[in-house]
Amino acid sequence: MAVNARTIADDEFFFGHKACAGCGGSLAVRAALKVLGPNAVAALPAGCMSAVGFNFPQLSFANNAMITPFAATASVLTGIEVGLRAQGKKPDDCTVVGFAGDGGTADIGIQALSGAIDRNDDVLYICYDNEAYMNTGIQKSSLTPFGAKTTTTPVGANARGCLTQKKNLFEIVAAHGIPYAATASVGYLNDFIRKVERARDIEGTRYIHVIAPCPTGWGRAEDEMVDMAKDIVDCGLWYLAEYEGEQLSGQPGGRFHLSRNPKEFGSVEAYLRSQGRFKALTDEDIAVVEAARDAKWEVMQREWQG
Amino acid sequence: MIEVLWHGRGGQGAFTAARLLGAAASLIDGRHALAFPSFGPERRGAPMRAFTKLADEPIGDRSAVARADYVVYLDDTLLGDEWADELKPGGLVLVNSVLAFHDPRILSIDADGMSAAVLGRPIPNTVFLGAISALCEHVRAEDVKEAIRQYMPPKLHAKNISLVDAARELVERLSCDGAFGSACSEADGAPHAGAADSERSESAAAESVDRTIDRFVALAGAPQPPRPDGCAIPTLRCDELQPEKYARSTCYEAGFLVAKNAGWRNVRPVVDRVACTGCLECYMHCPDGTIYKVDADFDDAVGASTGADATEVDGAKPKRRRPALVAVDYDFCKGCGVCAKVCRFEAIAMVSEREALASERTADAPTAVEGSAATAGIAFASNASEQAKGADAR
Repeated sequence: MAVNARTIADDEFFFGHKACAGCGGSLAVRAALKVLGPNAVAALPAGCMSAVGFNFPQLSFANNAMITPFAATASVLTGIEVGLRAQGKKPDDCTVVGFAGDGGTADIGIQALSGAIDRNDDVLYICYDNEAYMNTGIQKSSLTPFGAKTTTTPVGANARGCLTQKKNLFEIVAAHGIPYAATASVGYLNDFIRKVERARDIEGTRYIHVIAPCPTGWGRAEDEMVDMAKDIVDCGLWYLAEYEGEQLSGQPGGRFHLSRNPKEFGSVEAYLRSQGRFKALTDEDIAVVEAARDAKWEVMQREWQG
Repeated sequence: MIEVLWHGRGGQGAFTAARLLGAAASLIDGRHALAFPSFGPERRGAPMRAFTKLADEPIGDRSAVARADYVVYLDDTLLGDEWADELKPGGLVLVNSVLAFHDPRILSIDADGMSAAVLGRPIPNTVFLGAISALCEHVRAEDVKEAIRQYMPPKLHAKNISLVDAARELVERLSCDGAFGSACSEADGAPHAGAADSERSESAAAESVDRTIDRFVALAGAPQPPRPDGCAIPTLRCDELQPEKYARSTCYEAGFLVAKNAGWRNVRPVVDRVACTGCLECYMHCPDGTIYKVDADFDDAVGASTGADATEVDGAKPKRRRPALVAVDYDFCKGCGVCAKVCRFEAIAMVSEREALASERTADAPTAVEGSAATAGIAFASNASEQAKGADAR
């Protein structure tokens, strides 16, 4: 049954937490757990969602959940899954799910994630990407986009924000030949929910990369969190796509597919200028970002359609 | 030792103020100061505290200040009923507010208005540095200004220093008027000088702006129907917390809550069920899960499930009554405003907590509010508020 606003469970498995008002990450965790149901077992490394979810005695997960070492999200998922199965305690509708931030996934947890995909363990890994280490006060990660101001990529007379490009983690994961991977954004929540539902019902390692804006770190009003998550997709700096491995797609090497292929894009400049973290970008910088977007989309539209 | 307790919301600059005050007071040789925030996982918008201790000798006691000479509230919604418990005898509360508090121990300063006029945005903290320098002989005005020069970016110096002067002037004037402090025999009911300005500007704004918000303010006092039956959700059950039980285990019960998050917000979403179409965008996008679907048969005018959707209104011809489609759990809503922003039908507006609480109080007295759910005498308690009783005692 398709999960949508009408059919989604009334249950709230992530509730009473201490995330900032208007937190995109908490929306991603809440929505995913509502789809996965009461038997989902969650594992979270150091990061905002574990810091705000487990404040003993305030325990904000209504399902089984635990904190993992920073680098070990995927390894812990493996252990939970195998352990439940070995003890005969894994219900049919039990999804073992990890929620890690961009730093916990693309920097610190990448080898554990790679290992889990290599073993094709039956786990779902969700990366909520707020584009920096927000829990510790906004430091650059390898998923921080070009030009963004963080405390480790400051802006001033001699510094111009983040100088590196956002790592292409979705395709790195897909290159493992994973059974299923997808990108999403909390601004397109129905698409995200559909992908979580799809991933839930696939066996093997699944990966979903969801953009989850942080109003505090991005420098925009907290009530505009969903707008930011929509804008980043609409202007083409993020894309909604799926990768189906060989088994699912029936194609050697698997198949990429764009879930959303807009005819035209919103303004990159308007997106960047609306956020405090991109304040220092020059018009030339913005032109470079826009050119990179066009080049990326040209490839995606050519190779990922059909 | 002079102790100052700062109450603010995460992101409001309470710790910056605590630090600047400590820096100012310790500029003089031989003086010592300590400034630190309360450390917790709480985030932007959450109530937080910061402390400044000032003394002539090194300060060994690094624990939080329980009772202070000056207690500063950077947000007046944080000023609760127990404010006097945090005050030393002869101590003074300073609060950022346009309201008069009718107590000589509370000095109300419209620091938001003063700072907005100078800085362009309401950043109240330096106003209170100025006020404390006028009140406390331990803190000299020139040292506060020097601390601003040393700790703030140069472009902010002149404006913040002028705010310090303005605050000192205001406090000295109010002090001469006997508007606060022990010298004051009885607080008068008139708004103080600082507040008067902002009240004027508020009423001027109200005349020129269409107060569509009033429709929502009237609805803000309406009690909320309960969550759907059998819904799995972390719940408040602090009464059951037994430390000895938890001391023996590293495995804790899931969904065990001991505190509400309601104190985080100074605005709250109010749903107008007449305008609500039931699209559920607000429910889906709430980061905190505080908006929930309600039984379509639930009639909030009688607080029960009636199954009828045609009801007599005002004794006149039956009108089709729209079922209430979503409700808000005000015990855990943080007031982020995402719901109001994603609503395409202008069915949700953010109402200030002060107006909402006033509306809640009037809702206790049965008065019919046209086209609203605020008709009183509703005989159910929100499920969360029942569970929350213990948390209040915390």
